[in-house]
Amino acid sequence: MADILDLVDVQELRNEVQKKYRDVAEKPEATYHFHTGRQHAIRLGYDQAILDQLPDQACEAFAGMANPFYWETPRAGERVVDLGSGGGMDSFFAALCVGKEGRVVGVDMTPQMVERSRHLAKELGFDNVEFREGYVEKAPVDDGWADVVISNGVFNLCPDKVGVCREVARILRPGGRMMIADMCIEKPIPESALRDIDLWTG
Amino acid sequence: MIRGAGLIDVELGPRIDSFAGASGEDKARQFGTYGYPIRARKPA
Repeated sequence: MADILDLVDVQELRNEVQKKYRDVAEKPEATYHFHTGRQHAIRLGYDQAILDQLPDQACEAFAGMANPFYWETPRAGERVVDLGSGGGMDSFFAALCVGKEGRVVGVDMTPQMVERSRHLAKELGFDNVEFREGYVEKAPVDDGWADVVISNGVFNLCPDKVGVCREVARILRPGGRMMIADMCIEKPIPESALRDIDLWTG
Repeated sequence: MIRGAGLIDVELGPRIDSFAGASGEDKARQFGTYGYPIRARKPA
């Protein structure tokens, strides 16, 4: 099979992903091909005692695949990077876990999602979390900064998955943890489907 | 993929039917698409 990077125009894919998630940021109440919001997070197994501390605006644009905090939540005082932070729910969830001594940085390439998350952080009084615009393949985070990297439903949208994983390794400190959630497929995808940008985004 | 990037102790959690009841469910079924928590660690 051909290298996936030869089958997909990365910039075209990014444009389509941005378009889709711009809509989610601006119209979280609309219907999408995937589930969104608080009830979806509960169904995925998020700790409801922590989730209940977040208001609806912090949850409504959530569009994750599973629960990255399935084994554990980030610890007090830790530094967390959320790659592809989207509507911000996972970043805010992590911010509750790490507390005042910890720090969370959410990275997202969609300007509307970053703007939405920044606005929410200010409105909700989260001063231990910030959102930066950027690509997960080249995150605006220093080498070895993070104790934990989280992500949810993002790697599947990146053609260069090894590259993204190398970026995770770069920004983690030695001994740091990656805790992500994403989709895995059980059947092989034909090349014709890999070339179809519409199938990548839904 | 994850080990190829130098991460270790890679573990996949339980499968979850992320698309059940969503409009994208049929497409998800076509490729056997499910959600998973995944963890790994950077060597110390």
